[in-house]
Amino acid sequence: MSKFIGIKSLLIVMAVSALNTVYATELTDANAIVSKANLVAYYAGNDGRSEARMLITDAQGREQKRQFTILRRDREEGGEQDFLVVFSRPSDVRNTVFLVAKKPGGDDDRWLYLPGLDLVKRISAGDKRTSFVGSHYFYEDVSGRSITEDSHQLLETSDKYYVIENKPLDPNSAEFSRYIAWINKASFLPEKIEYQDENDKVYRRVEVLASEVIQGHETVTKSQVSDLRSGGITTLAFRFQHYDLGMDQAVFSERSLRKPPREWLQRDE
Amino acid sequence: MGAKITPRYWLLITILCAFPRYLYAADDWGDDAWGEEEKQGTAIHGFIETAVGDRVSDDTLVDDALSLAEVRARLEAETYQGALRLSGKVDLYADGVERGFDIYLREAVAEFSLTDNVDVRAGHQVLTWGTGDLLFLNDLFAKDWVSFFSGRDDEYLKAPSSSIKVSAYGETANIDFVWTPVFNSDNFISGERFSYFSPQTGTQVAAPRGEIVPDEPSETFSHGEFSARIYGRSHLLGRSSTEWALYGYRGFWKQPNGINSNNQAYFSPLTSLGASLRTNVASGIGHTELAWYNSVDDDGSNPLIPNSQIRFLMGYEQELVPKLTLGVQYYFEHILDYDALSAHDGGSIYRPDEHRELWTMRLSYRALQDNLTFNWFSFYSPTDQDYYHRPSVKYRFNDQVNLTLGGNVFGGKQKQTFFGQFEDASNLYARLRWSY
Repeated sequence: MSKFIGIKSLLIVMAVSALNTVYATELTDANAIVSKANLVAYYAGNDGRSEARMLITDAQGREQKRQFTILRRDREEGGEQDFLVVFSRPSDVRNTVFLVAKKPGGDDDRWLYLPGLDLVKRISAGDKRTSFVGSHYFYEDVSGRSITEDSHQLLETSDKYYVIENKPLDPNSAEFSRYIAWINKASFLPEKIEYQDENDKVYRRVEVLASEVIQGHETVTKSQVSDLRSGGITTLAFRFQHYDLGMDQAVFSERSLRKPPREWLQRDE
Repeated sequence: MGAKITPRYWLLITILCAFPRYLYAADDWGDDAWGEEEKQGTAIHGFIETAVGDRVSDDTLVDDALSLAEVRARLEAETYQGALRLSGKVDLYADGVERGFDIYLREAVAEFSLTDNVDVRAGHQVLTWGTGDLLFLNDLFAKDWVSFFSGRDDEYLKAPSSSIKVSAYGETANIDFVWTPVFNSDNFISGERFSYFSPQTGTQVAAPRGEIVPDEPSETFSHGEFSARIYGRSHLLGRSSTEWALYGYRGFWKQPNGINSNNQAYFSPLTSLGASLRTNVASGIGHTELAWYNSVDDDGSNPLIPNSQIRFLMGYEQELVPKLTLGVQYYFEHILDYDALSAHDGGSIYRPDEHRELWTMRLSYRALQDNLTFNWFSFYSPTDQDYYHRPSVKYRFNDQVNLTLGGNVFGGKQKQTFFGQFEDASNLYARLRWSY
């Protein structure tokens, strides 16, 4: 049944996107493009779940791995949303849970549950652009950077991409001086983002390596971030993604930190 | 009771355990595993750890120079039977300081939901609440100070207790109720591994003569421990959610700081009430907590049982520059009915001050893709003029192996103060852990 709906919606989306490419007029407003891309990248459906695996490789080729499940629920489209991240590997972070109430334009509320101490630790909102669990991804890459924190300018419109330059409104709020995003014109998925330092040198790159349409939403299934200074790379693969599961707001509470909501974490057979 | 282990034998065990583990390569990710094996059946994990700690200077009262010498194997198992979660954690360890093998049950719990909004967690478990960083006001669950002082992993500070926890969740508030049928004290400094100051004799003492063997409360229903917390989140300050909580406890002081008519230490009855708040402040996290400890010594005149106290904490933590975080806390304990105490203790020179203040600082820094973490935690009391520093460095070689080096450094102007008495317990330690 659900498979049937999936195929049907897939066909509709394919038809619609085909129409789009033929008839859609190109957008010229950078803010409109970025808003749309933000919705595609972080707000697909009203809620969603995904299992994720990270392979972290440092410049010496040493590997580390992380496996976790992400649950997300939007309070408002393009606005506030909640994330719950439950770790299953490696064993020293197993059952660690991370909860974020994302508040674009304000400070996020963030908590970390450490099962060994039964401790719910609140973490300050300040360090969003530091490593997410030892990977080359930042916390902000996972939950999304607020589009109101940057100014956006359309640099170029190619056959396939809108190329957008983004500069932080508060230069002290981020380690980059600007970043360029290649946003797919058909799907509005940001497929490549390059971060530049004050000398316009690219030092960090985030790329989509694979995506597919899931329940009508263009969904990243594999991405990669390269730290060009250190030579380190993290690849992130997503599996078992579902949208519009009907999660309740209560899923994103202290209860779930101590007792992760198995109903949503378990794979749907 | 356990087999005797000489230090040399212990060293051999360490080397045998540590080296092959270190060479153990990371298991292959594979493209098809995705945790399939954990969907059915039981997840088995754990670690093997070897740890050694040495006193900075001799404690003439304690035979052992080593403050920590152990090889520990942890086995963790977790399984679901329908909606019922079962989890167990057990340590087997060879202890070179206490000379023997031992088993330590860390966790054995069954967890299930009674209704949609009520969870039950029953069994041997670690329990924590409150807002303090290494300072506990309303968290009257058992602590293991021996592990904390000797350099075991931080997780061992929180000792497990055999309890039933019932949690009910509502729209605006949640309630936790914990019943611990048999009183579970702290693993306090009894004179076995570390010596302590005895106000009775006015000297530093240790086992065997100075060992504290307290009289335990009898195992009756009324001698159980009852802890409750009502808590929630609301938007008191702008868009940030403020966590609030009210706490209650009925049981006993967790340290044997009463003296009975047989001149034996015991745990005198304690009830406490408290409250806390925690929220985003500026670009950091602020918290404050208050507790009123109501002792059985109503008018405070009995010097053999502790007086009632007010305890207060406020703290703030902020990232200073990326990866460097500073946390500062201010704490005080105020003894109530102090005049009655000082009028009845025969003018004891070891009477605690009416007002004890404490500052703590935590500096943490992460480097090398979070594989290297520095942590410096300090307690400093301007009223007792004593301190306790806890520096540590942890390096994660890979997902399996990590090494921690650290220290526990105590000192103070006077021999009887809270941290000052542990000056000879000061130690440096190393722990090598392989997780599986």
